[in-house]
Parts: sequence; C-alpha cells; structure tokens
Amino acid sequence: MLGRASQRGRGALRRSFVIWVKVAVSRALIRIVAMYGDPLWIVVNVGGPMLTSLALAFLYRLAGLSSLTGFAILGGGMVSYWGNVIWSMASQLNWDKRSGMIYLYIASPAPLTALLIGMSLGGILGTLPSSIAVLIIGTLLFRPPFAPPTMAVALIFMLTLVALYGMGIALSSLYLILGRESEEVNEVLYESISFLSGIYFPSIGRFSPLPLAVQAVASLIPLTLGMDALRRTLFYAEGLTELWPNLSALAAMAVASIFIGLRTLSYIERRGRETGDILVAMK
Amino acid sequence: MANVVTENLTRVFETKSKRILALDGVSFEVQRGEVFGLLGPNGAGKTTLIRILTTLLLPTYGRALVGGFDVVKEAKKVRSIIGFSSSSERVGFDFVTARRNLWFFSQLYGTPISEANRRIEELAAMLDFQDQLDRKLYTLTTGYRQRLNIARAFINGPQVVFFDEPTNGMDVFSAKKIRELFVKEAKTNSRTIFLATHNMFEAEEVCDRVAIIDRGRILAIDSPENLKSSLSKPVVLLETDIAGASIGDPTQLEGVVGGTIKVDDENEAAKIRVILRDEDFLEKILGLLEKRRVRVFNYQRIEPTLEDVFISLVGAGFAERERGIEA
Ligand SMILES: Nc1ncnc2c1ncn2[C@@H]1O[C@H](COP(=O)(O)OP(=O)(O)OP(=O)(O)O)[C@@H](O)[C@H]1O
Ligand SMILES: [Mg+2]
Repeated sequence: MLGRASQRGRGALRRSFVIWVKVAVSRALIRIVAMYGDPLWIVVNVGGPMLTSLALAFLYRLAGLSSLTGFAILGGGMVSYWGNVIWSMASQLNWDKRSGMIYLYIASPAPLTALLIGMSLGGILGTLPSSIAVLIIGTLLFRPPFAPPTMAVALIFMLTLVALYGMGIALSSLYLILGRESEEVNEVLYESISFLSGIYFPSIGRFSPLPLAVQAVASLIPLTLGMDALRRTLFYAEGLTELWPNLSALAAMAVASIFIGLRTLSYIERRGRETGDILVAMK
Repeated sequence: MANVVTENLTRVFETKSKRILALDGVSFEVQRGEVFGLLGPNGAGKTTLIRILTTLLLPTYGRALVGGFDVVKEAKKVRSIIGFSSSSERVGFDFVTARRNLWFFSQLYGTPISEANRRIEELAAMLDFQDQLDRKLYTLTTGYRQRLNIARAFINGPQVVFFDEPTNGMDVFSAKKIRELFVKEAKTNSRTIFLATHNMFEAEEVCDRVAIIDRGRILAIDSPENLKSSLSKPVVLLETDIAGASIGDPTQLEGVVGGTIKVDDENEAAKIRVILRDEDFLEKILGLLEKRRVRVFNYQRIEPTLEDVFISLVGAGFAERERGIEA
C-alpha cells in the first residue's frame, strides 16, 4: 500500500518537474524569439549601448585617459542586461496583469516561478549577442588594457547576472501591486540605478567621485557590486582573495531577492483569489 | 458523467463601501459533451462563476467540482484539465508568430511537442486560419486574433473549456466558425463547453442547455426549446410611431408581466415588446395607446425568445436590468 502511494507521489513529482522545465524553457525561447522578432528592439538594444559606450570611450581618449576607455566598453557590454532586467523583467508581470495574460498563467498548471526563471534565462541568452558585439567592437576600436579574462571574471560575471535578474524577479512580483504607474516607477529606477551602480565609471571604492553615504546606498544595488568587481578583475588584476566580499554580497543578494520575489508572487496570487482584487485588470 | 458540479456556490465581495453578493447559492451540474450557456445581463455574476470554476477566485461558501476535482482543494488538478478564454485578454506575444504563440501555451500544460503541433494544425484548420499561422501576431486582423484566442483555449485538449463572452465584438463570420467549433468539440471529443454570454442568439444557437442567471441566482435551467415552450403567456410586438416612447416603462401597464421598449429615433418609431398575463389584455393596451395618441402601425403575437423567458422571470429585459431599472 505504502509503496504504491509513494510511487504515485514520485510520479506526480516527476510530472511537476517535467512541466516546470518545459514551461521555463518555452518561456525562455519565446522571450528570445520575441526580442529578435522586433526589429526596433535590436536597434535600441545593440545600437543604444554601442553608441553611448563609444562616445564615452572617445571622451576618455580625448582627455588623455586612454587607460580608462575599458570602463566605457565594459559598461556598454553590461548595460544591455540592466536594460533588459528593468524594461522586460520588472514590468513584465504588471503588463501580463494589465493584458489579462496572467489569468491564463494562473488558470494553467504552469508554475509562475518557472515562468519567471525562464524569462530571466531567455533575457540573459537573448542579450548575450548584443553585449558581446559591443565588447568586441569596442575592444577592436580602442584596444583597452584588459587583463586576460580568468575564471574569476567568469564567476563574477555570472554571479552579477544572477543577482541582477534576481532583482528583476523581485521587482516583477512587487510591480504586480502597481497599476499603470509601474511605467513611471521603472523610468525613475532605470535612470537612478544606472547612475548609482556606476555602469560607466567607478561609483564605489577608491576611485569613486561620490560621497561615502551615497556609496553606501549604491552598494545595496547588486549591479554596483558586480561592476566594481568586474572592473577590479579586468583592469587591476585583482582575484578572488580581494573580491570575496563583493562575491558573497552578490550571492546573498541573489538569494534574498529571488526569495522575496517568489514569496511576494505566491502571496499576491493567494490574496488575489481571496479578494478578487488582482483579478480586476487595472485600466 | 458530470464534468461541472456546483453546490450552493456563493461569492461575496467586500469593498470599502458595500458588500456585494455576486453569486447566491448556485447549484447545477453540466455533463460531458454538453455545450452549456450561462445567460444573464451585466453584473449577473457570470464572470464571477467562471473565475471560481477556473480556480482564479475562491468561493465564499459552497463547493464546486470540475472534472471531479474540487476547485479549491485540488486546484492544480483542475488547472491541467481545463481551457479558458475571455474576449478581454491579449492573445499572446505580438512579435511572435501565431504558431509559436500556440506552441508556447501548449507548453504551459507540458504537452508533448508532436501532439502540440498536431493540435495547432487541427485547430487552425477548423477555425480556418492555417494561412495565418506563420505570421506575427501584430500583423493579424482582429477576427483572426479572436479565432486564435479560441484555439488557444483548446490547445491542451481540455476536458472542460470555459469561455467568457467569447464572441463579444466579433465579426459574424468568425463568430459562426467559433460556434461550429464549440458544437463539434463537444459532440466528437466529449468536451464540456461552458460559456457565459449575454447574446441570446448565441445561447439559442449552440447551447444544449442554458442557465438564466440574474443577480447571482440561477432562475431557470433547461434546453432553449424547453425554456421557450415553458413560457405559455403570449408575447406581443407592437410597432408604433415615436409617441410610443411616451408610455415609458411597459411593465407599468395593466396585464403586462414584463416587457421592453426600443425607441428608434432615426425612423421616429418605437417597438414595444410585452409579455401579457393573457391575450385579453391586448385590447386594453391598444385602447390605452389610442387614448395617448400613439399610432400603432402593426401588432402581432410572436414566438418567444430567450429574452422573453428572462423577462417573464424577472419582469425586465437585459437592457433595463443593465440600466438599473427595477422590475
Ligand atoms: N473583484 C470584485 N470586487 C468587487 N465587486 C466585484 C468584483 N468582481 C465582480 N464584482 C461585482 O460582482 C457582481 C457580478 O459581477 P460579474 O463580473 O460576475 O458579472 P457578469 O455577469 O460577468 O457581468 P458582465 O456581463 O458585465 O461581464 C457585480 O455587481 C460586480 O460589480
Ligand atoms: Mg463578465
């Protein structure tokens, strides 16, 4: 008896796992297909960062700071992920709510967590080509003094992305509480975080032009810690021994934000079923 | 086998200012292979009922089973055997083809790829949009998008499919295709089609049975033919000049069980449709109209429609109900 029950339990678990993976993979794929299906997206997401980082690199070179052109190129390579997180992750569920799609998700067996993780994966993979394009073109044009990439760089890069998209998951869920004003919130967050996190210049640490209090606030943003660590490995050849505080903070932030995001999401879904409120699409 | 069962299903919405009884002790059963219609005016509780049955909303009291599973305790099981579509949500992703969109929705149910592909072809053929499958969503016309939305609800081969006002604002041709699909899916694949509508014609055309719902209560439930034939009272249509509008609410007239009045300003005419307690009251009404100097061009006893059944049950028509006129 017991054996059969636990076998059935295992079968159900396997089925849930299979659905989870299928949902995540198909959501990732759709994200990529949708990105490249929109010609304007390519222009904005490859063209925009490319032009900004080239402009900054020229500026550094003209000012006689050739050694810093790498900051601009690296920033151009990373800014697309940040843009993707804010414009396509954070606002996604809010948009799904306003367009009614979220009810299709809830009324299906698809786990919302799989949708969010899939969306992140798709976002990362879809952004990769444009980010690499900026790095390659920038490097060919300016030959900035990169230290040869190491395992540490790869690790920091991946952790930064996980923490960044974790923040996307948290924001996406929190935005469900908002209505149309989410677009303005996004606008404000994008500009202020782009500045504070120092995508194109060191916003924290020895070379930061910002006051300590502002640096402290900036350090709460995963992108800040990630950019700082990337610059320090790529341009100052620092290794894991120097960078472990950044790395552990990034890991902690990733775990915390994903946890907060998924908890918020299940809370909102439950409350929505009780009050009916989330089900009234906000106009 | 009953595919949908509700027992004393009740839903209360608490807002800051008031307490709304959106569903009030609803009990009924819908069988496999049945096209079932929920017919009622705005605010009757149709969407609320569908949301509960699709696990999007919890009931306040009572119980509901879909495919034998409890919508509260076994929501996950319910979700894997239902399909759902309302005319208000977006169809999918704009920059993705119709085919890919359908494929994506099939993956929400973990459908094997080959089966998903087969269903996509099959549904596209039935709804006549094969030639649109490889076009991006944003290039499709409204009619095709709406068809796609209906196809989407069938993508997982569901046991029960819920539609909330599926043909709202749809062109006549698409609506016809969709109604044919409903009947075919119910009869050949034994699915239960559950649709909320306030379109009388649609309810009569496709539904095996119709539940008439008003203010959260089911007032009658039967086949359209039985509902109409149960209405033994005469229904009379009077066509008058614009002065007919002056009689106001026709239910105030003596001997009138219920009725509606449609004023056609452009042609300076009015159509008064009344259900009479018995035929003798027609004379009285004609007399009254004459006294009020209303010219009656034509009057005749007509076949009752589902709206007349509704009117005889609540005293007012859909339009009156929706404008908030009390019976
Ligand atoms: N989330 C909610 N909060 C408060 N009241 C609600 C909520 N959802 C529905 N109601 C109320 O419950 C009642 C039934 O609404 P419902 O949407 O179920 O009607 P309906 O028959 O679908 O109408 P329509 O034809 O307009 O779609 C209405 O009075 C409506 O205002
Ligand atoms: Mg409704």
